[in-house]
Amino acid sequence: MGHRLKKERNRTVTATSYRIIVCDGTACINKGSRKLTALLREELEKHGLADRTTIGLSGCLGMCDKGPLMVVNPGYTIYGNVTEADIPEIVEEHLVKGQPIARLVIQEDHLYNRFFRVFGDANFFGKQMRITLRNCGIIDPENIDDYLSLRGYEALAKAITEMTPEQVIDEVEKSGLRGRGGAGFPTGRKWRLAAKEKATPKYVVCNADEGDPGAFMDRSAIEGDPHTIVEGMAIGGYAIGSDHGVVYIRAEYPLAIKRIRKAIEDARAHGLLGKNILGSSFSFDIEIRLGAGAFVCGEETALIHSIEGARGMPRPRPPYPAASGLFNKPTLINNVETWANVPVIILDGANWFHTVGTETSKGTKVFALAGKVVNTGLIEVPMGTTLREIIYDVGGGIPFGKRFKAIQTGGPSGGCLPEQYLDTPIDYESLAKAGSIMGSGGMIVIDEDACMVDMARFFLEFTQDESCGKCTPCREGTKRMLEILVRITEGKGQPGDIEKLERLGNTIKKSALCGLGQSAPNPVLSTIKNFREEYEEHIHEKKCRAKACKCLVSFEITDKCIGCGACRRVCPVSAIAGSPKSKHTIDQDKCVRCGMCFNTCKFEAIAKV
Amino acid sequence: MPTPLELIKKKRAEAVSRIIGKGYLSTKRVYVGMATCEIAAGSKDVMEVFQKAVSRGLTDVYLSQKGCAGRCNLEPTVEVIEAGKSPVKYGKVDKDRAQQIIERHIKNGEVIKEWVID
Repeated sequence: MGHRLKKERNRTVTATSYRIIVCDGTACINKGSRKLTALLREELEKHGLADRTTIGLSGCLGMCDKGPLMVVNPGYTIYGNVTEADIPEIVEEHLVKGQPIARLVIQEDHLYNRFFRVFGDANFFGKQMRITLRNCGIIDPENIDDYLSLRGYEALAKAITEMTPEQVIDEVEKSGLRGRGGAGFPTGRKWRLAAKEKATPKYVVCNADEGDPGAFMDRSAIEGDPHTIVEGMAIGGYAIGSDHGVVYIRAEYPLAIKRIRKAIEDARAHGLLGKNILGSSFSFDIEIRLGAGAFVCGEETALIHSIEGARGMPRPRPPYPAASGLFNKPTLINNVETWANVPVIILDGANWFHTVGTETSKGTKVFALAGKVVNTGLIEVPMGTTLREIIYDVGGGIPFGKRFKAIQTGGPSGGCLPEQYLDTPIDYESLAKAGSIMGSGGMIVIDEDACMVDMARFFLEFTQDESCGKCTPCREGTKRMLEILVRITEGKGQPGDIEKLERLGNTIKKSALCGLGQSAPNPVLSTIKNFREEYEEHIHEKKCRAKACKCLVSFEITDKCIGCGACRRVCPVSAIAGSPKSKHTIDQDKCVRCGMCFNTCKFEAIAKV
Repeated sequence: MPTPLELIKKKRAEAVSRIIGKGYLSTKRVYVGMATCEIAAGSKDVMEVFQKAVSRGLTDVYLSQKGCAGRCNLEPTVEVIEAGKSPVKYGKVDKDRAQQIIERHIKNGEVIKEWVID
């Protein structure tokens, strides 16, 4: 039996078509990985393997000290410290004879790159690095056994067994992890502040109130791997001396709620939550609180009020929640993504985590990539990846051959960055310097068809609507800004409007009570800064170059019209006239610019002018 | 008294044997994406096709749901994983494609290239 199996395996291995991934991270490139790729191609050609072996490039695989790295699939064999002399051997021994080369193989037991065993050979995924989403799409999120089998809850056990709370905080601080909710406060420092408070009980809160339009990082993380959050929170509880955790999640995420609830129940049944966890003296349990879906409740003080049963409104800080939070007790609040990093830091080590990312921003960041990009999706890339790499390498570029116009990061609190910022590396400081923010991870790609004034209006309409009304700058200021923007898009803009928007925006930024108000003018200010000429065109020439502002566009029927009458039948105000088989015309006085004729015409005979 | 670390390692071993008991070592493992986004794209129907096939006697297959891997525009996604072979990832799977994956890939070992995510 054994013999037959072995024979069988040899047969399948030699007949396999291989996929080789070469690490294309900066460190590996510096060590000559691109030369290796070229050499590999030559060797494959020589052995006649070129047509059934594919070579792919990956983003940083996170083992830079062992570079250049190469992964051979199937089998997920990782080769490290590969030299030019090794290439012929790899091709001959591994690819031809099916014998991996033991001396080059790297044994690794990192948590983070398990994802790549399944997904690493697809271009879209290969260029990413998955720490927080490491199990998403790999395991059954509703089966605790799947999580346990991948070293689940080992980080918690390790912390309880081998580390003092102080050491856990040291490790988190040393890793350089910063809050992933948007502001980027150093996580270790936050933990230390909460730990040194004497008052009890203390609370640990997971902020899963994800409200940015178009963002779904937290939902996917919880739906794909809820136990990571539970484990991270328990470690946080151990570190600061808390026995009570709260997950604050919006009721609009029923499946995520179901899965995190099941995860908590299963963990309890296994003695991983509750009294005396794993036989130790540490006790910790988690309850779920549902939010009603107000954007402002993602702000930590508003979130606390909401959990307490009060209206979700922010209050001035200090005191910070670490000193006086939930029920006026010390409270440690972190975002979903931040919590998901914690088990990895404890198991893979702060020293390793510290090697990923840039000088000031460590680790990875998850983005919900959306808008005018070929591959929309949830991505996780190392800090320091440029916007260009995200849009063109991971995202696959702009569809339909359209031109890139801008990228909006940070959702309604962020800014729009035009082409000259495409080489900005993703980290908290670089994005702020460019005039946007990291935010929680919304990323919208905008092509030439979008009007930047209209875009700013859209985002401001959202924040204005979500303003809680407590402070005047946000309540009144955003309203006035929105009125001006609406008037500009309607062709009623007045000279001086741009300056008024800037003055209002800067005042609100400085004087609003909470993050929502302080960041609300960002989309407007950044589009004025980068696309001022579009504002000017709207105001002075009553023109919208993207032809997106309805009031500034009119429709005309061109000579391509064959007189089919489709537009005439669909027009809701009977503004189109014409007899069959002859060119139709639009009565501009009657036309309400709904665009239905434009969308209906099969002959591209209707033009926006 | 075992330490928490020893306990969790024991729990892991138990979890692994439970998963194996459910057929994890079958020749082929099939994962169907079942996050909100995947379900919205129609993955419940796809899951049903696989479940029906298993209940009607499709053997040597380990069927599991999974969260979202982040490939929004190609959802629903299905992975077929087999020891010694590259994991195959299918995109935009509907009922019909699911049926064909069962017939052509799972039963006959044919990778249906045009649906594979690259």
